[in-house]
Amino acid sequence: MPDFSPTQYAIPLFVIAVLAEMLWSRFRRPDAYEPKDTLVSLAFGLGSTIAGTLFGGFALYVFIEAYEYRVFDFGAEWWSVWWAWPLCFMLDDLKYYWVHRAGHRIRWMWAAHVNHHSSQHYNLSTALRQTWTGSFTFGLLFALPLVLLGFHPAMIAICGGFNLIYQFWIHTEAINRMPRWFEAVMNTPSHHRVHHATNPRYLDRNYAGVFIIWDKMFGTFEPETDEERIRYGIVKQLGSFNLLWSVFHEWIGMLSDIWRAPWKHKLSYLLREPGWTHDGSRDTSDTIRARWLARQSPANPASNPVADRNPIADGHEAA
Amino acid sequence: MEIHPQLLIFAISLIAIFALAALAKVMRLGGDARIADEDEARRLADEVSDGFVAEQVALDPSGCAALLKDAEGRIMLIKRHGNQFAGRILTKDAKAEVATGTIYIDSGERQFGGAHIEHDEASVSLSIWADAINRLGRPEDA
Repeated sequence: MPDFSPTQYAIPLFVIAVLAEMLWSRFRRPDAYEPKDTLVSLAFGLGSTIAGTLFGGFALYVFIEAYEYRVFDFGAEWWSVWWAWPLCFMLDDLKYYWVHRAGHRIRWMWAAHVNHHSSQHYNLSTALRQTWTGSFTFGLLFALPLVLLGFHPAMIAICGGFNLIYQFWIHTEAINRMPRWFEAVMNTPSHHRVHHATNPRYLDRNYAGVFIIWDKMFGTFEPETDEERIRYGIVKQLGSFNLLWSVFHEWIGMLSDIWRAPWKHKLSYLLREPGWTHDGSRDTSDTIRARWLARQSPANPASNPVADRNPIADGHEAA
Repeated sequence: MEIHPQLLIFAISLIAIFALAALAKVMRLGGDARIADEDEARRLADEVSDGFVAEQVALDPSGCAALLKDAEGRIMLIKRHGNQFAGRILTKDAKAEVATGTIYIDSGERQFGGAHIEHDEASVSLSIWADAINRLGRPEDA
């Protein structure tokens, strides 16, 4: 069995790329980076690798056990079945789409995934803002069908590693648009900027990992418009650079909501969408978008107050 | 002395992280974000809470913070966070204190914190803001 972790080999590349983007930022967009934000993002990245080492064992155990019940068998030398690799990569990316979508639509999953969105910046260091608490969700269940189909857990892990590496470079404002054919099929900086945006029109859109086709197939695709400045982060921005607060704030919020809620609503605070409350006192992404859409109707021609500050929208050059 | 490879990787990574963050500071990335005027404060308020239309604005002369009130009586505090801005619609947990020409608003959220706002005009208007904030959640505002 090959013992290979693509992300480990990619780390020097990540560092060089962040350095390069910092240089770009120095001359073109000094506001694209903020030292404290960068420090928090990078600390998130380091912490997530430690958390993965400490808590990832359970998922590995489940996968190895489930592999014994596989439907198809690629044989003892499964890594030598060449066509299994692209197939596994494709199916793993489909899995990523759904686990990511669940990460935004189920508060339990969001508690772990919100970390990745908690920066108000969008640069390559943001890509390294990875979860510390993913092992405490049911995200591993999304990979079980692949294991049961017969893909070895190591093959899935390697494909997942390459998937993660691909997603690194799309966290940038330095690239405006890729060629049209590329934008049509692949996830790109433009598509993923939409995903990280808090503008009502962009909320809960573009969940794709590598291939944007999943969003187009499942009705969650939203193209980036040049008419509106993108705002990054989360609906309720943290306003804090405290690393531990950034890691655990949503877990604390969710658990305190469950604690205070009437019994019949407790489970909903775990499994319903972020922002849901039993008394309707908070906004969800759906209610925010609905309210925004209502204001866009011809009878209510709200102006667009942010259009003129969009650095991404300037012509067709990189922002 | 033999160092465990994982510990070595951790130490190198930690050094690299601080080096990159320090480099960002040395390169003066981030800039100095300020709220230029009341219009910008209003725009930021709409970004904090979509559809928030501010009718009254108290903007700190430094441009680091602002208080805004809408027609529903909701009061929002916006403060600088790094080179961005973050805001909260204040709740009954918020507190405000007025000193000479200055108001300090505690959002009531420990991690979000608070902000000072100075006012060039007579401090009476700051008292009005402070009273409104300290009354939030009381029956008369319900």
